[in-house]
Amino acid sequence: MIMIREILALIAFSAAVIFGTAGLAGLFRFSDPYTRLQAGSLCGTTAVLSIFIGALLLSPTAAVSARIVIITLFFLISSPTGSHIVARFAWNIGVPHHDPKQKRTPVSRKKDTPS
Amino acid sequence: MRAERIWGAIRFVITAVSMFAVWLLFTASFGTFSLVAGAIGSLLIAALTYDVFIAKHQANLRFFLPNPLHLLIYFFVMFFFIYQSSVVMLAAVITGRVNPRIVHFRTRVRSDVARMVLANSITLTPGTITLDLNDDHLTVHWLFCDTHHMKAAGETVKGRLEPYVQRIWL
Repeated sequence: MIMIREILALIAFSAAVIFGTAGLAGLFRFSDPYTRLQAGSLCGTTAVLSIFIGALLLSPTAAVSARIVIITLFFLISSPTGSHIVARFAWNIGVPHHDPKQKRTPVSRKKDTPS
Repeated sequence: MRAERIWGAIRFVITAVSMFAVWLLFTASFGTFSLVAGAIGSLLIAALTYDVFIAKHQANLRFFLPNPLHLLIYFFVMFFFIYQSSVVMLAAVITGRVNPRIVHFRTRVRSDVARMVLANSITLTPGTITLDLNDDHLTVHWLFCDTHHMKAAGETVKGRLEPYVQRIWL
């Protein structure tokens, strides 16, 4: 029983490592703030969630696992709020999104700023 | 006037009970001092903030009281969706083939809490970020856009999440 739990936790931690590495790579590969935030959400949501699942599998008592569940719930509320605030600010000041069809991305979405 | 006062009392009681539940969850002790301190604190905070916690125009209990069974189901469904779109996102990071676009669409859910949860779920799913939420109008940055039709885009982005949210809140 302990063995199965440890193997499942190992799988969850490996998934966290893979997703975290991919998110970090995407952070440097992509070009504009929105797309980078998308890659960051891979790092900040899925990797952390996998670590929480692994910790839940390894938790010794019910009290510890209940606390992990509460931490996961608060994380699920707070993490997207943070990335939403950054994306909303970028959208409000007029950062254009990356378009693969255009050769050169303009500096601003708004008309009055020089491009 | 009378209806408004009754509605205010209901909102105050619900706020106080939720505060006290969170207090019990955090302290995890049933000593007399802890219970009394928690009760006094939650009543005081509820008296100050019940108007912010539940807005006056949310005039239906189903607008902010969740259906617990469907809330639990939604929790696990959300896990599945996060991992599903994470794998798609992983492939996109490796190959670099993305087609980002800003899409606008409207949602059918009616209460503020449900709209907030829907927007948060869209942001939580890798591949979509909610940029703005005005009443029922969502602005979403979508990484794997395959259509110019905004209603079809909305169906792809929120179509599988929305029925679950509609079952939790009205």
